Order: sequence, then structure tokens, then C-alpha cells
Amino acid sequence: MQDPIGYSLQRMQERGFDKAQVLRDDHEKAELQIEFNQPSLLRSAKNTALMLTGVTQDKEGTLSVNRQTAQAIDEAVDALWESALASLPDPANDIAKAQPAQSFTSGEREPDLATMYDRLDEFLVHCGQHYPSVTLGSFNISHVRSVRTIANSNGVSLKSERGYYSVMSMFTAKEGTDVSSFNFTAVSLANLNRPIARTATVERLLKSAVEQIRTRKIPHKFTGALIITPDCLGAFIAFLLDSISGPPLIAKTSKYRDKLGTQVAYPGLSIRTEPLDRPGGFHLTDDGYPATNDTIVEKGVLKTFLLNHYASRKLAMPRVSTGAVYVVDSGDVSFAQMVSGVDEGVIIGRFSGGQPNANGDFSGVAKNSYYVKDGEIQYPIAETMVSGNMVDLLLNINAISRERADFGTQSYPWIRTRGVVVS
Amino acid sequence: MTPRELRLNAFANRFDGYTELRAQCNAQTSIIMLNGDVTGNVRSSSSGISARVFKDGVWGFAARPALSEEETLAVIADATRNARFLAGRAGRGIHTLPADRALHEVDFTTRKERKTRAQVLDFLRELDGLIHARYPDLKSRVVQLADLDMEKRLFNSDGSDAYSFVARSLVIVNLAYEDDAGRPVALYKAFGGRGQFEDVFAAPAELMEKVDVLHRHLLDKKDGVSARAGVHDVVMDSELAGILAHEAIGHTTEADLVQEGSVAGDRVGQQVASALVSMVDFAHTHDGETLPVPVYVDDEGVAAKDTWLIKDGVLQGFMHNKESAEHFAEDMTGNARAYQFFDEPLIRMRNTAILPGKDRLEDMIASVEDGYYLMWPSNGQADTTSEFMFGISLGYEIKNGRLGRAITDTAISGVAFDMLKTVTMVSDEMNWGCAGMCGKKQIIPVGMGGPAIKCRIHIGGE
Repeated sequence: MQDPIGYSLQRMQERGFDKAQVLRDDHEKAELQIEFNQPSLLRSAKNTALMLTGVTQDKEGTLSVNRQTAQAIDEAVDALWESALASLPDPANDIAKAQPAQSFTSGEREPDLATMYDRLDEFLVHCGQHYPSVTLGSFNISHVRSVRTIANSNGVSLKSERGYYSVMSMFTAKEGTDVSSFNFTAVSLANLNRPIARTATVERLLKSAVEQIRTRKIPHKFTGALIITPDCLGAFIAFLLDSISGPPLIAKTSKYRDKLGTQVAYPGLSIRTEPLDRPGGFHLTDDGYPATNDTIVEKGVLKTFLLNHYASRKLAMPRVSTGAVYVVDSGDVSFAQMVSGVDEGVIIGRFSGGQPNANGDFSGVAKNSYYVKDGEIQYPIAETMVSGNMVDLLLNINAISRERADFGTQSYPWIRTRGVVVS
Repeated sequence: MTPRELRLNAFANRFDGYTELRAQCNAQTSIIMLNGDVTGNVRSSSSGISARVFKDGVWGFAARPALSEEETLAVIADATRNARFLAGRAGRGIHTLPADRALHEVDFTTRKERKTRAQVLDFLRELDGLIHARYPDLKSRVVQLADLDMEKRLFNSDGSDAYSFVARSLVIVNLAYEDDAGRPVALYKAFGGRGQFEDVFAAPAELMEKVDVLHRHLLDKKDGVSARAGVHDVVMDSELAGILAHEAIGHTTEADLVQEGSVAGDRVGQQVASALVSMVDFAHTHDGETLPVPVYVDDEGVAAKDTWLIKDGVLQGFMHNKESAEHFAEDMTGNARAYQFFDEPLIRMRNTAILPGKDRLEDMIASVEDGYYLMWPSNGQADTTSEFMFGISLGYEIKNGRLGRAITDTAISGVAFDMLKTVTMVSDEMNWGCAGMCGKKQIIPVGMGGPAIKCRIHIGGE
């Protein structure tokens, strides 16, 4: 079909929708995989999704299909009409407001398969030479071409075309019958100009995997410092970021619902969302707007909630671009200084934890982690749990590193906090 | 065209080497009611065709979002070209995989008249209204419908030809209060299981008995205390046994994790658990009942069979796909499964369970002097070391053999092959859960089951 978006909009309006919006996503992926240190699979996959959102009498429905024939769209519009009519009226239901037409492009459109293979092969050789005890259980280099088009009955017409590479690696080290905990990392890249081992924290994690083959338990239960590596900082700011999104704010269960403009973290902590400037970012949001870069926490003060179009109308508050492309500003101490200031604590490399409860209380296992005593890293640890509260944890931060790791989507420093129960 | 209508065997003459074709459609519904408002009302379907070709020890894979003869030819050509590209650079000279020829059709489509969207919405609205009327002081209530239909047709060059339509329907109720200090306290529970909505749910009022139990536990939890961090005697309820089986042992015995280095690889034939513990990954049926995620033929065209993981405490073996069975020189088990049409099959669990014992739950609780009764899980994670973790959303203290105060959310962890040796009692119940969704590169529905277990385990907390 020549114009499935235009056809869908026309059919939705003919069907009787007051407001109609269509979002089309087309993806093409080329992916090279390694399993157990050997190239194993080359994938080429295409997919498409046509997401129709219709509002009638303040009732809304959304329907997504990945077929774009006239018959498939006709059936989808009829099913959507039935869904929307069956729903309940809510004045907050709406589609994106009228705005100027825009289009965006970024990245390489086509995969460079030969370079993908060369980088993969180079990484295998590197691991074999420097980390012979490491098994890459699953490793892949992908190129994704993503085209997103949004149009609606308010006259919105937006298009973005992105190309980017991504690398995902999951690995374990083993000597004899001693084995490390598995670890993993993911990086988004604009191009393949650098060896994979030199991206983000890949080299450091491989080295750590070897160190983690033989671990010890901590000597005793204590309350102390937690140095959070960039690899797992996301797990410790997720509670804040989830809590300032629409559902918990609308439900009035968010711990941060009355914290806008107040201190929610250490004064050195700033968190931003930067979807526009990063290889793993995006140009258009799911609710039909151009993405924007925004400051979420500035020097510890909560500057905004993360509300999509529906939540902003429901709460009568400003809409802010949403999407998990977060950057935490670097601080003013080195990682070495950060460690030297710890009486007793843990450097946590991966958090394997239960979901924090609505109050922010958390417990979980410190994986790929190290015990710190009297300002020095002592040894890799196992069978160690950390417990605390996510709200307190951000307020108790007392150091942020100058160094940052750039994962292409997120960019995070090391962060030190205190008052965490280690058992 | 639907997966069932696509005659995949007509393309056999296009195969060059071992080739699989899979036509698939996943259809989902998500409806969310938050405090009486419909905040989500989404239906989606994703269908397409994939081909996977094996050449010289490597794979070529291709997928397209259409079900037609033209696109089937296209993915065969793409996958074959990909296999040749990779074989030309990294071929291992392995030319054959173990073969199986499985012919099977299973269709769990409801035989009842399908409910309209209005009827489904009315069901949720009525349930929400009953909850609101009975518990008007709740801070928030979420009633969510999540259903998934998976339809697959598979044909491969071994001659396997299989069709399946498997569905699950869940209603998830999440209730929240504030405690005396103004802190939110929430508890959720998923109801439902295998089958389409019409086969799983009757009237909203029938769910209220279960919602009442959820609410009673929430009230207890509102006045709950933190668990004491450390190693304690615990009784894990039968609703927890499934995730214990899945996370603690199941993942470590997936053959691909064994190849990556899992400690299970060196323990076959060894005593890794108390002799009271036996564990099986069931393919589709147990005790005459069809299980939550029945797999009769896997996505490599292999007839699925039950896989003993632990028998009387002794580690038995691993779950396999074709390649791992070849690598370990063991029988294929039919554990290769893919979530979407554009995913390649991976080694995945199906219905993993600890088998029941002979103890009574009441006696197990009475035998604990100072410990915890852990009832409902949240998320979990496994490891190659067998050090697992999962969250606990509901539990109680046990003092002198009697249940005490509820505890707030926490997590438990342990090294499976150590912890399972501390099992001293296993209850005579068997509880199957159908809400599990396992993440391992792809997500996929899994079934989990088991009895109550008494053991010692590490609890996080104050």
C-alpha cells in the first residue's frame, strides 16, 4: 500500500472517531552473534507496526498491527472502534496537539556487515589473548535502521529516520570448577570506529569477571558505604524516575508526588534526559511529539515530572519528553579518592534485586562486587545482600566521580552513598 | 492468511541444508483500570514468517512481517544467504544436527462464544466496582487484564510439521494503602492462567473471594515489620516453590548456560540437594493435567519430553536444543522456544517444578522456632554460580511455631546447591503458577510449580 498512514487516518475519521492518530514504526535489523566464543548466527529481520489511536466521546482505544494492507487496516479500524466504544470516557484522552511538520535523520542508514564482522572477530581475538578464562555466552553486534512516522487528525506530521549500532555482551569466567557470576553490558554506537573492547566499561568488566572467579563472603554484617558503578547506577535511580512518571502520580502512591522543586538528592547530583544527542536516543516520542532534552534533577532538586500527553492532562501539569535516555553529571572526585574515603563498604557491579516496594525499600544481591575496608579494595565477594531505601540512598550520596562511562544511551559516573545494610 | 493456513511443507524443495520455517502470530490485550479510569486500552498483533538455515556449524536467520508464499520464499533466500556469509568466514565444518520428525497439532482456542470488547470491559469495570464498594478506603486500586495468544506453525527439513495455539489470560489486581506514617504499602496478585478469557474467567464476583484474601494480607502488611537481614529458617509456601525451581536450579541446568560455565556442568550425578528434593521440567502434562505452558513440539521441530533435573537430590541432566544435545552427546529434550516470529529459538524452560513430598504445611510452620513464612514472590534472577535471588512481596514472621506479624517487601538469596541441601520438609501440595514471564534475551511465558519447602535461606532487610 502506498500510504497506509493516510489511509488509516481517513478510515478512522470515516468510522466516526473525533480524534485519530497513527504511529508507524519500521525496523530493519542486521545482527551478528557469538555463542561460546564462536560466531554462531547472522540475522536479517524486518518488522513494522502500525499503531492506531482513536478517541470518540472522550473514550480511547489503541490498536497495533504489523500488516498494512487495506483489508488489514479496515479490520483494525473496526476492532479499534469496538475497543474505544467499550471503554470509559475520560476528558484526559487526547491525541498530540497541532504542531509544525518536522523530519529528523541521524546515523548510518545501512549496516556495514564487513566491518561488523571484523569488529566481532577482533573482539574474539582480544578476549582469547587477554581473558582466556572468559566465555562469551552470548555476544552480538547489531545495526538497526528505524523509521518512525506520526500523523494525526490535528495535522501533526512528523518523521524520523535513525541508524545505529548496538553491542550486547553476556559472559562468565571459569577456571577448573570455579566460576564467576555472569555479567553483561550493552552499548549503543553511532559507528564502529573503535574496537568493542574500548567502548563503555567492556574492558573493565572482562577484567572483573576473571577476578570474580574466586570470591569470599564479607566478614560480618555492617551498615556502610555503597559505591555504585556506572554499570548498575540505572537500578538505583530507576525508583526516582519511575515514581515521577504518570501512573504512580495519578494513583497518588508516588513518594515524590509533592517533591517538585525540593531537594530529593545530594546537591551534587544532576540527572538529565538527552534523547536528541545520543546514538541510543530518539527523535519522536510515543505520544506524538518531537523529543526534547530536559533536566530532571538539578543539583539535587527535582525540576520536573516525566509526564506524557495523557498524564499531563490528567494532572494538569506540563508535559515533558519521556524515554529512558538518561545522563548523570560527573562529579569532582576521582574513583580512587572515592574508595579511599570508605571505612567499610561495598563496590557494587551488578544489583540482582527485588523490585523496591512503593516506599522505596529494597533488598538484593551484590553481584560482581568488591569488599572495601579502611579505604582499600579488599577482595571480590559473593553471597552478600544489600538493603536500604531508594529515597534515602539518593539523599545520602556523598561523592560523585569525575570519570563517567558512556553506554551510548545512558552516561553514568560512579556514585558513593552511605547507610546501606550489608549482610 | 494465518499461520495455520500457510502450507510451509510446500517450500521443502527450496531448502539448502537443515532449514526451519516458522509462521507465527502473537496477539495481546492490555487493559488497565486505575481507580476506575481506563488508563490503558491496547490491543496488538504481530505476525510474520522466519527461516533459519544451518550451514557448516553456523546459522543464517531471516524474518519478515507477512504471512504469504512470496515472503516465505524471501526469508528462505535471506536466511540461506546469511548462513553462507557466516559459514564463509567462520564455518566449523559441522554438517549435521540430531534429527527428529514430530507431527502434532494442538489448539487451545476457546470453544465458547468470544466475548465482545464491551463485555470484557464490563467484567473489569464490575470487578473494580466490587473492590471499590467493599474497600472504599484504599489509596489506589489497579485492575489490569493481560492476555496473550501465541499461534505457531513450524516445518523443518527433518519433516517435522507442528501447529499450536496456546493462550494465557491474567487479571492482575494491585491494591495500596498508606500506613500510619503516610508511606505507601502495596500488594498485587495475578489471577487466571492458561486459556482464552472465556475459558479462564466466569463472573467478577467469583474473583472477589481471592481479592478478599489479597486485601486481608495487605492490611497485615500495612502494619508489617522489616525482616531481619541474615540467614534464617523459613517455610516457603507452594506459591514460591515454582520460582525457586525456575531461578535456583532451572536456569543453571539450561545447556547453553552450562556451556557458558554454569556450576551445574560439573555436578551431574552428584548430590546437589536434600534427598527430599526432586525436580522436573515438564513438557506439557503432569498428573493427567495439561500444564500452564504446554509444549508438544518445540520450535526446532523436536518432540518435547519431560526433563528430569534432580531426582532424590541427585543432579540428572540438562535441558537441550539440537546443538547442545549434539555437544553433550545427550538426547534432545524439546526445550528450544522463540517468543516472536523474528526471534530464533533459545533453550527455555517450559513447566518447571519441584515434586511434592509428604509433609503438611501446618506441621512445617509449627516446626520453626524463629523464622519466616514466605508466601508470594515478585521478580527473580539466576546465575551461573547457582546463586539465585527473588523478591518477596508477602511473608510473615514465625515465632515458636506460630505465624506472627507480616513483613514488608524483601528479597531472598542463596547458592542453590548449598541451600537445597538444607531442605528438611516438603509439603504434600502441588501449586502451579501461570503468570511467569522469563527474560533471557527474549521474554517467554513459563509455568512454575511445586510444594511448600522448609529450608534455611538468606533474607535481606534491616
